[in-house]
Amino acid sequence: MVAQVVRLPQRAAEAAAAVVTRPVRPLIAPFMVDDWGRDQRLIDLLGPLARLRWNVAVGGLHHLPARKGALLLVNDRPTSFSPLMASLALSRAAERPVRFAGRPDIAPGGPLLRRLGGILARPDEVRGALAHGELVIVSAAEDHTRHAGPLDHRLVQPAVLQGVPILPVATLTSRLRRYARVEIGPPMRPTTKRQGPLAEVELADAAQRHIQRLLDSFGGF
Amino acid sequence: MAGRRVLVSGMGGELGSLTASLLEEESWVGSLMGIDVDPPRRRLRRAQFHLIDPKNRPRIVDEVTKFNPHVMIHLAVWEPDARAGHAIARRFTHDATTAIVGAAAECPAMEALVIRSGIEVYGRHHHAPTRPSETARLDPSSEYGEMLADIEETARAVGNRVKLSVAKLRLATVLGPHVPSPLGRLLRMPFVPFSALADSPFAVVQDRDAARAFVAAAARQYDGPVNVVAPGAITTYQAARRGRRLPVPLIGPEWVIARRLAHLAGAPVPDHVLEMMHRGRLADDLLLPEALGVVPERSTPEVVDRLYAWESVVRLVNGERSVA
Repeated sequence: MVAQVVRLPQRAAEAAAAVVTRPVRPLIAPFMVDDWGRDQRLIDLLGPLARLRWNVAVGGLHHLPARKGALLLVNDRPTSFSPLMASLALSRAAERPVRFAGRPDIAPGGPLLRRLGGILARPDEVRGALAHGELVIVSAAEDHTRHAGPLDHRLVQPAVLQGVPILPVATLTSRLRRYARVEIGPPMRPTTKRQGPLAEVELADAAQRHIQRLLDSFGGF
Repeated sequence: MAGRRVLVSGMGGELGSLTASLLEEESWVGSLMGIDVDPPRRRLRRAQFHLIDPKNRPRIVDEVTKFNPHVMIHLAVWEPDARAGHAIARRFTHDATTAIVGAAAECPAMEALVIRSGIEVYGRHHHAPTRPSETARLDPSSEYGEMLADIEETARAVGNRVKLSVAKLRLATVLGPHVPSPLGRLLRMPFVPFSALADSPFAVVQDRDAARAFVAAAARQYDGPVNVVAPGAITTYQAARRGRRLPVPLIGPEWVIARRLAHLAGAPVPDHVLEMMHRGRLADDLLLPEALGVVPERSTPEVVDRLYAWESVVRLVNGERSVA
């Protein structure tokens, strides 16, 4: 005999796994992630928790393209998690995945937010998602007051180069109350035809003004 | 186009012999020659095979220049811990690339070079793109990634020097029946460790889809990089659950012990597989159908399912199959 085959206790391990996981099996079903690592099953599980925190009213859904990709530019406030809130609310309302740019790239927060639809805030990452016909949320700089902060034109560039619609989205949240609002504005069109990078710079500035107008139209303080 | 001479390096491996068997069915292929350190794993009818050690450069150069190929498919790449340990894999890959690609450059009929690379060349440093496209910067973060980046660099230099089209096929981890793969072995263990804090998604590709991509790249004489990735993604935990294995959550320091135990059990975990389990490994697949006309037959979860559908032992009793 040249060698002896060592058999691993596969059946015993499978039986042990079945016993150990039986009580929690419904929770640890073999979820599937999509091409970007978004886990719809996890989102469905966490959905009630998110709705416990935010009672979101969504408006302007008809502006979203039915199948094609689009870049959604939203305002943000510190600790409001507006991009995540908007992504979950719009995914539910539009019945298609909505991703948000700006997840961290460190465990455990980064991988968790990736499961919830987060991508990195990088132009190539946004470009890749838009090329695959995805809806991508990019947030403006955080602002403590009810004002739309400036937008990073480098993240707007992929949408300009690919010719996908750019939509301003105003979000309103409260730290204490559940009420939240997401209002999608009509697609933006450049006022001046540009060949170079001024196109995205001007669109980013215009988007900031559009979002501010939408925020002002909400009324209240 | 008919009557092309095609050279396949690494024809002895699973992917090499599968590619050769697909090439034998192509009408444009006139003659087919293969070189490897191991004999082919399939019965090939038309191919002429030479068993040559990668170190034996004079004989490689002699055989290649005598054959004078029009197209060369370079598959002589040793993934660490697949068929050889790290040091041997690196040496074999380097020797084979230097000798075979160098010899191909000396052939006057040579028109196109197709090389095997991998999505490991993009690296998984912090803030690296989640799904890099072919235009992403090469920044390998593992030993295997560096080996593949070296092959791409060598091929690019040869292509520029002797004016060849160079197709760089960046494959996701190739899984399939009989494909020696450290990831495949690890996933088939009864206990599968996974990162409890990250459990990042990765993509794989079926061996047959990878072989089809090589044949298409050779037929089209494609010039440039292409990601060859099956659609969809899966995490280690999900893969283990699909295979009805026991997923073992690990957080940090115990990975050292888990790697040693896995090695003892016959499934060493090289750094690029460990990196994949922690940081994920995806790639954009938009260019593949457009550039090569290849649409993968199986998605990533289906490839993983097929991995678990392998029979452990197939006995042939009086010509009939019986699975142990």
